[in-house]
Amino acid sequence: MCGITALQLRDADLRPRLGELMAAMMAQVAERGPDSAGITIYPDVRVLKGVGHPAALAAEWRLREMAGTQAVAHTRMATESAITAAHCHPFVVGDGLSLVHNGSFANHATIRRELLARGVPFDSDNDSEVAARFLAYRMAEGDGLEKALRLLCERFDGFYTLAVQTPDAFAVVRDVIACKPAIIAETAGWVAMASEYRALAVLPGIAAARVYEPEPEEVYLWTST
Amino acid sequence: MDIDLSVTSVRDANAALRALPAGASARLASPAGRHNLAVGLTEAITVEIDGTAGYYAGGLGRDATVLVRGTAGWGAGENLMSGLVRVDGDASQSLGSCAHGGTVVVHGSASLRAGISLKGGTVLVAGDVGDHCGFMAQAGTILIGGDAGRGLGDSLYEAVIYVAGKIRDLGADARIEELAEADVELVARLAKQHGFDHIDPENVTRVASARQLYHWGTP
Amino acid sequence: MSSDSSFDGIRERARLGRYPIRGGGARRAVPAFDDLTFLTASASRYPLEGYREACATRTVLGAANARDPVVLEIPITIAGMSFGALSAPAKEALGRAASEVGTATTTGDGGMTPEERMSSKTLVYQCLPSRYGFNPDDLRAADAIEVVLGQGAKPGGGGMLMGQKLGPRVAAMRTLPEGIDQRSACRHPDWTGPDDLRIKIEELREATDWRVPVFVKIGATRVYHDVRLAATAGADVVVVDGMQGGTGATQDVFIEHTGIPTLAAVRLAADALADFPDVKLIVSGGVRSGADVAKALALGADAVSVGMAALVALGCNDTVHDFGPASYAELGTTAGGCTACHTGGCPVGIATQSPALQARLDPVRGAERVANYLRAITMETTMLARACGKADVHHLEPEDLVALTVEAAAMARVPLAGTEWIPGR
Repeated sequence: MCGITALQLRDADLRPRLGELMAAMMAQVAERGPDSAGITIYPDVRVLKGVGHPAALAAEWRLREMAGTQAVAHTRMATESAITAAHCHPFVVGDGLSLVHNGSFANHATIRRELLARGVPFDSDNDSEVAARFLAYRMAEGDGLEKALRLLCERFDGFYTLAVQTPDAFAVVRDVIACKPAIIAETAGWVAMASEYRALAVLPGIAAARVYEPEPEEVYLWTST
Repeated sequence: MDIDLSVTSVRDANAALRALPAGASARLASPAGRHNLAVGLTEAITVEIDGTAGYYAGGLGRDATVLVRGTAGWGAGENLMSGLVRVDGDASQSLGSCAHGGTVVVHGSASLRAGISLKGGTVLVAGDVGDHCGFMAQAGTILIGGDAGRGLGDSLYEAVIYVAGKIRDLGADARIEELAEADVELVARLAKQHGFDHIDPENVTRVASARQLYHWGTP
Repeated sequence: MSSDSSFDGIRERARLGRYPIRGGGARRAVPAFDDLTFLTASASRYPLEGYREACATRTVLGAANARDPVVLEIPITIAGMSFGALSAPAKEALGRAASEVGTATTTGDGGMTPEERMSSKTLVYQCLPSRYGFNPDDLRAADAIEVVLGQGAKPGGGGMLMGQKLGPRVAAMRTLPEGIDQRSACRHPDWTGPDDLRIKIEELREATDWRVPVFVKIGATRVYHDVRLAATAGADVVVVDGMQGGTGATQDVFIEHTGIPTLAAVRLAADALADFPDVKLIVSGGVRSGADVAKALALGADAVSVGMAALVALGCNDTVHDFGPASYAELGTTAGGCTACHTGGCPVGIATQSPALQARLDPVRGAERVANYLRAITMETTMLARACGKADVHHLEPEDLVALTVEAAAMARVPLAGTEWIPGR
């Protein structure tokens, strides 16, 4: 259970402010996930994770000073696995694929066993890591991110809102029942997704943004420019 | 009364609203998606939320009028007993969930499960609604000015849904019924009252329960 | 190979074409509090005098967040049971009994009746997935709010009330057509998961001006995680209902094949709350005697709830009633042999909406029996606590117990009697 924030900057002038904007967004969803937090910042695929309040972690990481093209972050309220940095999202696997998850999968143990049998390694017992490993596995087999996400919808049972970034793309998808929140906002300068609107409210130009909720089981994909 | 939510907590703001006498009005500035604004009101006051509200805006209310000038998060007007919750923009999931009475109006679109477990209130959406609208709705009226998503009216009890646009598909035990004169009158009255000028009351689809799930045999 | 009873199950399903439905709790034998015994005082520890030296039973719930915490004179409350599943006189009797002994009773899936509000000094108001009869006026009239995620008889499933019990008053309170077979939702309509539950709890606190405590009730399955999450979401009290917990009606397959025994759940729940010293734990599901109460408290509960036991005290299944064999035959049951709570044909007027059957239950006399029962098991609880040398029942601890079976030792994490062995340690 958690708060998700993700941002892809189209406007190059905003890129020096990526860390500042992400820190502000994460602070708005800190109560959804007060245990721990993590973030991946592109293009360098810089991964920061820690245990503690998200605002304290952002300060510790000096997140506000960081520049970049896109980032995906997570504030965590641990459900069934431990509160450690290793269990923090994003799960960063394969060729720089980062995944964050809000919800709870219902058949991840079986999929984990299937992937293990195919030689896929795991770093944690977290259910969300299974989704990240599944996507990386499918992409290593030649599928694009969009197809891999569609296959994930077919194979995974349970509740999920997922935000995924790779060095060239940003995607959002949620399960067919769509019980976990997700909201997307787009302007000419950026595209963002968060668990709650309040995280989007901190972004420049939000008043004029196109704001909408992702439809169940529909893959939303934006390529990096 | 003006309350600036960038400096006043939701708890203090709600306490101030609850202290207002009937007939008073208040404006909540800088809502920025904060949750639980103007919940549990008991007097006929008017509260204007000047921007985007988070979860449960105007929920558990009696007699009050809550106007959301932006969009609203989950469960706007949830468990409303009477009065009005109006959203100028779009509304998120579970709009008007369990409302026993009063009116929840959205001038934009609403996402999934609008009118879920409705218990007598009126839920009006000018635009489209997402999947599972009217799920297990027990009583009351849902009027949709645009299109409806999947599983419309699944497991409906005695609530009635009117859809002006297209219906993607019906849920279990929901069926399309003949439009009677009383339906046309009701839709015309609601559309006029809330400025849904794009709705032609003669051309809406009435969805109600097929009542096939009411009994499944008892020992 | 198979027993006759499994053949009966096949025949019943072949006849019905659907799952069998019944009331009550799990009938199978599972490890229970009976499998534990107290190491009372002797030479190494000294007992308190059973009749003269005080042993406190007062229990305070929700003091951290609520302006008006719930103060109980005894560590035993009456669990949520709906008006609908139970008759109005039964609800009234439970309220009267609880008030008389200074404890709380709880509404159920269907709202609050004026009778139970008036008869209950401390009334816990449930907020269930169905939200039948849930309204802000009764919310503000309540002494605590209990957000129900599930119950021990059917964790993961919704409520059920058969058409025979959906009479005019029950139907009107629930805004349902009279006489339908009601199936309640299994998930709340406006939130899913602890991150959103946190926002819901805040809404309920706002609507009640942060006056009363908020309980969260769960059916015992993944207890450790669920209790932690309920506490993280802001609960003042977590109520954990084990698999022996009863129900007015549900699918037999749910009652017998879901959840974990109360004995195992208490310890997990207590562990989960180790980091939340202000959050209190109530345990329910199969609590019948003062020994059960004392053992639950020793394993970490702050209080227990009784449901089925209170109904039995009220007169359920009691052979002392004599309504005549013909009357029982008409209802398809026998005196003392009935667990057909779901059919509405309760011969003693408890689990029915029939005016004629309800009239068989006198709420005042029923309340006396329930109050007697609550007093008796409180005496038993304090007696055991004093014998363990405790001046407060909340001072009982796991080290006061040993197990009589390996299963119970493993679940309760206390040593097998006569050994220092805790399986798995």
